[in-house]
Amino acid sequence: MAKVIVENVRVDFPIYATQRNLRTVILKRATGGLIQRQGKKHDRVVVEALAGVSMTLEDGDRIGLIGHNGSGKSTLLKVLAGIYEPIEGRLLVDGRVTPLFDMMPGLDLEDSGYENIVTSGLLLGLTRDEIERKIPDIEEFCELGEYLALPVRTYSSGMTMRLGFALVTAIDPDVLLMDEGIGAGDARFAERAERRLKDFVGRSRILVLASHSDTTVKSMCNKAALMQAGRLIAMGPVDEIFEKYAAMVHGPGPIGGGSN
Amino acid sequence: MASVPAIPAEGPRTLAMSAAQDLIGGLCRTDLWGRLGWLDVKRRYRRTMLGPFWTSISLGIYVVCVGVVGAGLWHQDIEQYVPFLVSGMIAWLLVSTIINESCTLLVAGHALFRNVRFEYSILAYALVWRNFIVFFHNLLIYVMAVAVLQPRLIGFTVLLALPGILLVAANGVWVALLCGMFCLRFRDVTQIISSVLQISMFITPIFWPPGNLSGSRRLFFVETNPLYHMINLVRAPLLGEVPSASSYAVVLGLTVLGWILTYRVFKHFRKRIAYWS
Repeated sequence: MAKVIVENVRVDFPIYATQRNLRTVILKRATGGLIQRQGKKHDRVVVEALAGVSMTLEDGDRIGLIGHNGSGKSTLLKVLAGIYEPIEGRLLVDGRVTPLFDMMPGLDLEDSGYENIVTSGLLLGLTRDEIERKIPDIEEFCELGEYLALPVRTYSSGMTMRLGFALVTAIDPDVLLMDEGIGAGDARFAERAERRLKDFVGRSRILVLASHSDTTVKSMCNKAALMQAGRLIAMGPVDEIFEKYAAMVHGPGPIGGGSN
Repeated sequence: MASVPAIPAEGPRTLAMSAAQDLIGGLCRTDLWGRLGWLDVKRRYRRTMLGPFWTSISLGIYVVCVGVVGAGLWHQDIEQYVPFLVSGMIAWLLVSTIINESCTLLVAGHALFRNVRFEYSILAYALVWRNFIVFFHNLLIYVMAVAVLQPRLIGFTVLLALPGILLVAANGVWVALLCGMFCLRFRDVTQIISSVLQISMFITPIFWPPGNLSGSRRLFFVETNPLYHMINLVRAPLLGEVPSASSYAVVLGLTVLGWILTYRVFKHFRKRIAYWS
């Protein structure tokens, strides 16, 4: 059983390097969270990235997060990953969380493919033994052959992506967090990658995917959540939420403060 | 599903990590910080023939040149002065590089901790470990200099440098975390620290024998200078002397106070680190 409980989460980003004119602009724009001024003299600029977000995710949930740029999708994912601790509210998680914001964290171009697999694997939370056990699978899938023993700087960008893709999809996640879909390589590889990705996502108990592509969300998710200006404004069946989103996009301008 | 790793069956838990969990959990992940530190050293010297020994070689040249000049300036015998200089320099390089690199610990590490969740302290352990690897390379210059000039210095007393080195490591970790946090939040601190370090190199007895100062100057630049005591713990044994009790006292005191301060700051601001980056 995996479970994620988000309760009334709020996240503010302090902005330290503000210029004077930024302070005078402030508030109600089409994208992004609310920019507020705090402190005694209203001299602290704070971006309210998330406010009052609550959701409960259970086994089998595949949630697509949708919304404008800057509506708080990625921030919510980073809260779920435990990277940003909420300013208010709380997050409870049962199960291993695997964030895939960076397929190869700690990647160094001078290191060989094998070395990078180990470093990234450790950073993604695998143990050394787990990594050793997964290496044959990674080798076989990425088809990089002897390149794996060469520095990554000799790889083409497609080859680097293959390596990252093969590595992360070898993990067994409970709660999987993805910012935009992941895909890689040339046509032949893309086909194999799609199958592997399906299998990978299928192994996870819970998926949260932030995406702008409705085909991605529709093919991978069974629920969707609509975000606007840092608030979760609707959650439900994919088609229904996309209708709401479309209405919002074509409807009258943004509701600066957001609604419930 | 057999492939899913075992989860402690205690139900939902918070992902928030306390300062103590971070420090202890991070220390336990020797595989990760050991690897990060080691790869850092390895990378710096990829495609070079001598690798990390390049720092040792430039240190060697430095010691020979400055040794000859300094022995004249301070009217010392080369046999006395060069071992003093070389052991002081390797200790100083260890201490000052740790402090200097602390400033960029979190600024440079943000690409990592904004994408995956892990113990921040791992970065500090990796930093200290990396500098120890370099230190042990530099030790070769000491061995060579002493073997030529004063072979009798190499004896059992040298082993007393080990507790000194451990104390430097214990202090290095808190310095790395504290400076790392300050420099992430206030970017000017980096500049301040590097200028202070530059000056410290000259006002701390590394080039000149501490015995040459007297009175209030000695009190200020030697007796109350924590850098002097820190270096003395490593240097004195390398010169066949037992470090003074006052050096141990000062450094132990510094370790305790530094850790108390760092723990409090870390406990309070740990969760802000991701927001500051």
